[in-house]
Amino acid sequence: MFNLTRRSFLQNAALTGVTVASGGVGIARADDLLKVGVVIQGPIADTGWNSFHDRAWKAMEAAMPGRIKATVIENINQPQDAERVFRQLAVQGHKLVLGTTFSQYATLRKMSPAISQAHFECCAGIETTSNLGVFEARSYEGTYLTGISAGRMTKSNILGWVGAYPVPQVNYNLSGFVLGARSVNPDVVCKVVWVNAWDDPAKEKDAVNALVAQGADVISGSPNTPVQGLACEEKGVWSIGSTGDFSKYVKKAQLTSFELDWSPAYIESAKGVIEGNWKPSARWRGIGPDGFVKMTTQNPALPPELVKELQEAEAAIVAGKLHPFAGPIKDNKGNEKVAAGTVMSDEALKGIDWLVEGVQG
Amino acid sequence: MIDTILAIVTATVIAGTPLVYAALGELVTEKSGVLNLGVEGMMLVGAISGFITATVTGSVWLGILVAAIAGMAMALIFAVFAISLRTTQVATGLARSIVGAGLSSQLGRGYFGVAFVRPDSAVYDFFHGIPLIGPALTAFHPLVYLSWAIFAAIVWFFSRSRLGLVIKAIGEAPSSAHAIGFSVIGLRYAATLFGGAMAGIGGGYLALIYTSLWVENITAGRGWIAIALVVFATWKPERALLGAYLFGGVTTAQLFAQGAGMPVPSEFMSALPYIATVVVLVLISRDSSLIRLNAPASLGRPFQLEG
Repeated sequence: MFNLTRRSFLQNAALTGVTVASGGVGIARADDLLKVGVVIQGPIADTGWNSFHDRAWKAMEAAMPGRIKATVIENINQPQDAERVFRQLAVQGHKLVLGTTFSQYATLRKMSPAISQAHFECCAGIETTSNLGVFEARSYEGTYLTGISAGRMTKSNILGWVGAYPVPQVNYNLSGFVLGARSVNPDVVCKVVWVNAWDDPAKEKDAVNALVAQGADVISGSPNTPVQGLACEEKGVWSIGSTGDFSKYVKKAQLTSFELDWSPAYIESAKGVIEGNWKPSARWRGIGPDGFVKMTTQNPALPPELVKELQEAEAAIVAGKLHPFAGPIKDNKGNEKVAAGTVMSDEALKGIDWLVEGVQG
Repeated sequence: MIDTILAIVTATVIAGTPLVYAALGELVTEKSGVLNLGVEGMMLVGAISGFITATVTGSVWLGILVAAIAGMAMALIFAVFAISLRTTQVATGLARSIVGAGLSSQLGRGYFGVAFVRPDSAVYDFFHGIPLIGPALTAFHPLVYLSWAIFAAIVWFFSRSRLGLVIKAIGEAPSSAHAIGFSVIGLRYAATLFGGAMAGIGGGYLALIYTSLWVENITAGRGWIAIALVVFATWKPERALLGAYLFGGVTTAQLFAQGAGMPVPSEFMSALPYIATVVVLVLISRDSSLIRLNAPASLGRPFQLEG
């Protein structure tokens, strides 16, 4: 009954119009306002990873107007800088502090238990701590669907993938893409080129050219910039925006795309902190209501029956009837990795270090 | 097969061109005895200045011109410190690279991830329409052909022209050159500004033609490669050109090899351009006396009048 915290007391005080002393209302307001710190690794563009976080904090502020004030700090490249910024935000009274990339996770994991006055969330991470939650997207559901488009639209039966680094997130995206393509067209193979860089557009463009020269006619990957799509447009092949919709620049060649929508994660966390029921959780969601994956632009060139097929597959995934990593699945060396009748576990997916059958390179 | 080779060769030239510009520019600068390690910074500032100009005006050529001017402006600041005020060239150059990276990020704030769509060109259509040789003439952007012309001019400049010999002289023995009446400071300024303009064009080409895109740190270390190429090329323009294309070629070839499913770890493949360029250039210049012979004797040393 007497669950009276300072905040709820002041809230009530403010609501009933009781002013404690001169300036009392001001204090009440300041305490009522949830300050949220968001630390973004790179510069914010209008597409790509950082833009998703930019949109998410704006959606969070808009969802509870006047209740939330976000402090956004961008271009924090180094983990040692990130730690300083996280601490500073927490000390300055930000009750909720969000990290936005996996590279910030280790820092948050290490420092969060010592700063008990703040609640932390990290986009991509492994384990939660007493006051650190993690959230991540099942982006392979998106690549599975774009893979279906690719498998239907390819004429050469050769797809191309420009990879950044062979880390689990990229491995399950690529594998999902190929599983989707082969679910509708078993003859498809996918050539892969690793550029070993997150941000070297010149090399990404060279990689697209190399793939096209070797017969690939639908190219995907995890681009942060429109360069892949632009290179495809130049070469007259299809491009797929995985975790990025570049239709603003890639007018003709972009076949389909999906983006990551973190706003449910931001809004839920902020709500939890405001209502006092925030708990550290590990959220891993794909497409669907309150999901983190959103299918976006579709090219008008997609035949209507394919559009219908995609809608059905999407609905089946949302309903839980279709799991992209349902067995039997072999890796590209011929070993059976997922037995028939079973579904790959989340644990296994999060640590996937192999690629499915049909991936070359 | 022929198609693949042709594709690799084309991609090689495109990938090598920013390096050709930056390396040739640095070569001229170093020939005059000035070591400017700010190439990366000059390329970045050139890239973003050119990119903004082209995006605003819609003109690629205006963009490239501004890129060259921006590169020169960066080089001018370097020259004021390193040549006139005689600060340490290495530290000043490094500072230029760091400043250039930060400055370009700042200038490019509103342009990050923005693509520049090149307008259709009537000149291109005209040349492309020439029977038989048309497609070959337009296989590359004119800036690629310009880089070859500049290369030829530099070779001629250092072997045939009087001014070229003077530049070499002030790089070798500035006091002697000064004694017989040449302006060491003036010519070093000129050579440094030329290097800045070339680095700026290299950066502009990278952002406007190669990728048509601005992202932070778009050069991804190419400025440093250019500096290394000059040393390994023992200050010979033809070797610098070879090195630039070798680097571009191996970068491209390893991407093709990966696509073809070569069972080699991609991390090794990515390191290959660096390894191959170093190995080849070390092999062709394995005679260390040759390096000593070719290295400008006063490289990196500020010139100070005695007395």
